[in-house]
Amino acid sequence: MADEDDKRKGEIPTAPGAPPKLGRRDLLMGLSTVPALGLFGYAWSRQQQYRRGRAAAAAATPAAAADLQEINVALLGAGAQGQVLMEAMLRIPGVRFRAVCDIWTEYNLRRVVNTLKRFKQEPNGYADYREMLDKEKELDAVIVATPDFWHAQHTSAALKAGKHVYCEKEMSNTLEGARSMVLAQRETGKLLQIGHQRRSNPRYLHCYHKLLGEAKLLGRIVTVNGQWNRAVAPDLGAPDRYAIPEATLKQYGFKDMHQFRNWRWYKGLGGGPIVDLGSHQIDIYNWFLGAPPSGVMASGGLLYHDPKTHEWHDTVMVVYDYDTPAGPAKAYYQTQTTNGSQGYYESFMGDQGTLIISESELNYAGQLYRDPNAPAWDDWIQKRYVSAPKEQEAKEQSESGAVADVRESVAPDQHTVPVSLRDPYHQPHLQNFFDAIRGKAALNCPAEIGYESAVSVLKVNDAIDAKCRLPFKPEDFKV
Amino acid sequence: MRADTPDLDGGIGLAGPRELGDLRRFSHEAMNTVFEVYAANADAHYAAQAAQAAFALVDRLEGELSRFRPNSDISRINHLTPGESARVGEAALECLLIARHLYDLTDGAFDVAIGTGLPSLEIDADTFLIRATGDGVLVDLGGIGKGYAVDLMAELLEDWGLDRAFVHAGFSSALALESPADCDGWPLTLSDPAERSRVLARLSMRQTALSASGVRKGDHILDPRTGTPVRGRQAAWVALPRPGAATPAGHGLRLAPAAVADALTTAFMVLRVEESAALCARSPGLEAWLLPDGASPGTAELIHFSGPAIAPAIDARETRDSGP
Repeated sequence: MADEDDKRKGEIPTAPGAPPKLGRRDLLMGLSTVPALGLFGYAWSRQQQYRRGRAAAAAATPAAAADLQEINVALLGAGAQGQVLMEAMLRIPGVRFRAVCDIWTEYNLRRVVNTLKRFKQEPNGYADYREMLDKEKELDAVIVATPDFWHAQHTSAALKAGKHVYCEKEMSNTLEGARSMVLAQRETGKLLQIGHQRRSNPRYLHCYHKLLGEAKLLGRIVTVNGQWNRAVAPDLGAPDRYAIPEATLKQYGFKDMHQFRNWRWYKGLGGGPIVDLGSHQIDIYNWFLGAPPSGVMASGGLLYHDPKTHEWHDTVMVVYDYDTPAGPAKAYYQTQTTNGSQGYYESFMGDQGTLIISESELNYAGQLYRDPNAPAWDDWIQKRYVSAPKEQEAKEQSESGAVADVRESVAPDQHTVPVSLRDPYHQPHLQNFFDAIRGKAALNCPAEIGYESAVSVLKVNDAIDAKCRLPFKPEDFKV
Repeated sequence: MRADTPDLDGGIGLAGPRELGDLRRFSHEAMNTVFEVYAANADAHYAAQAAQAAFALVDRLEGELSRFRPNSDISRINHLTPGESARVGEAALECLLIARHLYDLTDGAFDVAIGTGLPSLEIDADTFLIRATGDGVLVDLGGIGKGYAVDLMAELLEDWGLDRAFVHAGFSSALALESPADCDGWPLTLSDPAERSRVLARLSMRQTALSASGVRKGDHILDPRTGTPVRGRQAAWVALPRPGAATPAGHGLRLAPAAVADALTTAFMVLRVEESAALCARSPGLEAWLLPDGASPGTAELIHFSGPAIAPAIDARETRDSGP
């Protein structure tokens, strides 16, 4: 896997120094100093200008956090999600990649190791996680981003090897698996963060602590609505030349390359869209309502996709009952994979206002509506908890003399949540994990919370089969 | 070229795709335009999966490179206070390094830092840290990002074994890989932005990036060096062969011809004709076409420049990081 990188680094031509700033005359005379490197010269002269600039402005930069305790991490699972986490971690100071493990050695593993090398990291590559845990004695933490049905085994093995673990959601595809992870965490005393990254997102934290907690802007939340809709997409494929040998696939629990790439759709491996997508948002229902659900009914099915390659439901609609500290509530959730209309969001409706929120910085990035009869929000606007309201067309009309139509209620004031994220979506949750390792923070989604979410979400597939309401007992959420 | 203006018809055309025989076309909206993959002589299902992977790559790049995404690398740079640094990913770093090189090559006629100028950023390629030296930095990769995405899509398609392919972003940034079977090259056209049906040139290309910039009626382009609107130019096209086997690989950085061509067309809209000619004259393999303002619409004649010849690109894959 080093050959690619060596090739790129090989044959560096002697760079004749940084191209000097050119004057108009030089241009007309023909840019005489640059063409030795040609149009692709950036590839060779990349650091010249910077070093010259830094030397000139010697004293300027504050020293990079030199006293930061470096954390040695391994990435276990280097597929699409592993790469998302890697990208976020590369932007966090004080993280050192020591190892990467993936059974797709010719593709995922090579790609990720090569990328990390370009970031001056020198990770060792592994196909087998046991070998990695045996050999990499310096590791502080393991980031688990393998398919759901491997989470329990990978997480427990890493915890028992004395490592802290960040494990992607869903915690496991089975309750037994999820429970074993909670127990392994307790037994080892190591940290286990579950990857419900919205729990560390500054906008969600602001809504939870300030808007719902302190200001109680929504009043009593009685209903919740949310969705994640996705347009039809072809199954994931793989470049023919990098197909994993059949024996290796079998060894790690996959029937073939198609199943390896599309494990989320298969029973025994993943949980379908309700688990992949719903899990993130149903976790927020529990968090914001202050309780796990007390019952669930659901309808779902494979309405569109090919049953030969899709075992789980492509369409799911769920209603949860909640007994919240403030009183009973009901929450609807839908996910479907045939039409991406309105994407994903969660909407919390109280007797004094509504909050529509999503992780996206582009859509539903935090809208608030105040009920016309609710107490004024002026203080909260002044404290910058919420933005000033957007003028409503209906109001303007009535002020300009148009007759108000009594059959329609007055449109509520629309505000926004004035908090956004400047970093990749997963970065704050990973940062919280590393802060916890350094003893500077508590985990935002420890094993017990991940377990509550897993219990809430995995039961949906049971409820679809049962075709009736399934109750939750409080002890269902405890290990 | 501006990221907030939809640009769906950039002035490059694919002539008679129906006559090219066994051809599959896949489309995807991203970066405020439509990306397309044409795959020749490929299995339909396999090509669809490859195109989907290429489009997923474009979406990821948009998330990192768009100044309209509040949490992109570029947005983080645009919110730096003087002396502050942002750590960026590989894509943003490569685009900025290419942009800086083209800024130097064109005497600032290509500048991704609107207003303050690119020298207001320090780029540390070792640590991936970008430092702002002044206030008000506003980076917009609209003149290079689509080309960069096209370069990476082409690499991905080759990785999938789809060598006979043509990729473009809104027909303003394109890359021809190997030609369809029984063709010498992909049949491409350059057309008049004022009158799209008027074909100005017909080209046959393989292993070449082709980029276009143009203004339509009412549009204008600002010269970043003076801040005043450019006059006298309707459109510019640049063709740049993919680096061949004779080109040494670059110091851990991708050789990205579509990104370079993308930036050059922007510069050639701004540079004077003789300045563009001078840059062409010393850039092996580079070809450029300029369309000056005509006396009346649809009458301007193309001006064509060619750089010195280079050895034909035999197998570009040998030197690029074509593997994963």
